Amino acid sequence: MPDLTLEELDRDGAIQEAVQAVSGDTRAAFLGKAAVGGAALLGALAAPELAGAAATSDVAILNYALTLEYLQSAFYTEAERLGAIKGKLAPIPPQLGAVERAHVKAIKAALGRAAVKRPAFDFQGVTENQTKFLKTAVAFEDLGTAAYKAQAARIKSPALLAAAVSIHSVEARHAAWMRFLAGAIPAASAFDQGKSIPQVRAIVASTHFIAAHPKKTSRKKPKYTG
Amino acid sequence: MTAVARAFAVAVAAVVAAVVTILVWPHSSAPSRAAEQPERLPASPKPAFVVPRPVRLSHSVAVSYWASVREEALARMAPSAGAPAVADLSTTTPEGTTNIVLVLGRRTDGSGRLWVHVRLPVLPNGRTAWVPRRALGVYGVVHAHLVVNLEGLTATLLRDGRPVFRASIGVGQPQWPTPRGQFYIRNVLTSFSSPFYGPVAFGTSARSSVLTDWPAGGFIGIHGTDAPQVLPGRVSHGCIRLRNEDIVRLWKLMPVGTPLTIR
Repeated sequence: MPDLTLEELDRDGAIQEAVQAVSGDTRAAFLGKAAVGGAALLGALAAPELAGAAATSDVAILNYALTLEYLQSAFYTEAERLGAIKGKLAPIPPQLGAVERAHVKAIKAALGRAAVKRPAFDFQGVTENQTKFLKTAVAFEDLGTAAYKAQAARIKSPALLAAAVSIHSVEARHAAWMRFLAGAIPAASAFDQGKSIPQVRAIVASTHFIAAHPKKTSRKKPKYTG
Repeated sequence: MTAVARAFAVAVAAVVAAVVTILVWPHSSAPSRAAEQPERLPASPKPAFVVPRPVRLSHSVAVSYWASVREEALARMAPSAGAPAVADLSTTTPEGTTNIVLVLGRRTDGSGRLWVHVRLPVLPNGRTAWVPRRALGVYGVVHAHLVVNLEGLTATLLRDGRPVFRASIGVGQPQWPTPRGQFYIRNVLTSFSSPFYGPVAFGTSARSSVLTDWPAGGFIGIHGTDAPQVLPGRVSHGCIRLRNEDIVRLWKLMPVGTPLTIR
């Protein structure tokens, strides 16, 4: 499969919207999206749950976190529903799925109308394959932990930082659990490094898991038999 | 004691006094450092939000799955690249929507390739086949199931096994019968201009086994009507007709991908 650009992968712009808002990217492509994406960010300023409590950049960071939580929750939820993960890995999808869905629910509630839309995900059979599932779970949990860590110092609101670190430590526990199951050392180094937005973006893009929403509706005149 | 010795003793005493002063007095002599004592730090801020208690998925027996077709592919009789092909799967429907198939199961072949067992929108009606997972894309989940009763002329929508909608319907005339079997909802058409089809039309995977040369393949639809007075009845070319207020109500309840049983 040829490498695709993030724009092709992230057709709804959820990741790009969040990433560009956080990174302060002023590329023409982002400005071109401002009519759509900018509306969400402007809406974020007026979100009643955070109004007066969070800077614009905090809202953007929350949306960035929400997109990663969407990815994780969709991954474990699909694995649980399909029921193809068995044996010692069987407890993972229901346990982690419930937690990641709780993260999504909390962040969405905090963002209110400013929350980015849930993208569609095509996990390409990974949720139906034991080996690939565990490998991806390790990568996702490491990624989530590193992404939260890298943004912590940029969060302006102490209350928001307190909430974010309460999620970060849970992601770190998940990462250690997945690493243990995969036979890797749960905590291999004395100090963890965060992952920057471009690093996270590249990793997410490389999975090709973000897909276009299937087109389910049309305005064409029916040609059914009548 | 000599003068030198006294001077040395005084110097030593001064140094000792200075050291003791530094060791004993530093905290009380610097009010600005008081706040650095842990017990005097302000309380931690209250989190901006609290993550709710994790909730497990409810495991309903009435859950079904569909998959979008991402790449054109041959559907085969068995989960093997060497098995006979039974149909070509395209990525879009005649209506321009994403082609979807109903997921029935999965199996991995001897070379580790994952195959998905799917229900197809082809003739003969009810055909199932195997498709490589790589040809499929996004999975969807539905908790609904539409049951059409050709004898009672009713359509009933179940959610998690419980009826949430029921309406009288029109079905095919004897020479153009509505096919019986297991199917699914492929798409939904709205905002078109056709009083004959009403305000909303669902496309299904069912096809007329009589009107095979009908435009776009003779698919059976579920739609509204401009002749509600003939419902319920055997009045159509095979499609399932509902009163316009009923089809609009169904549109709000039934997602694309919903399994359809016609019996």
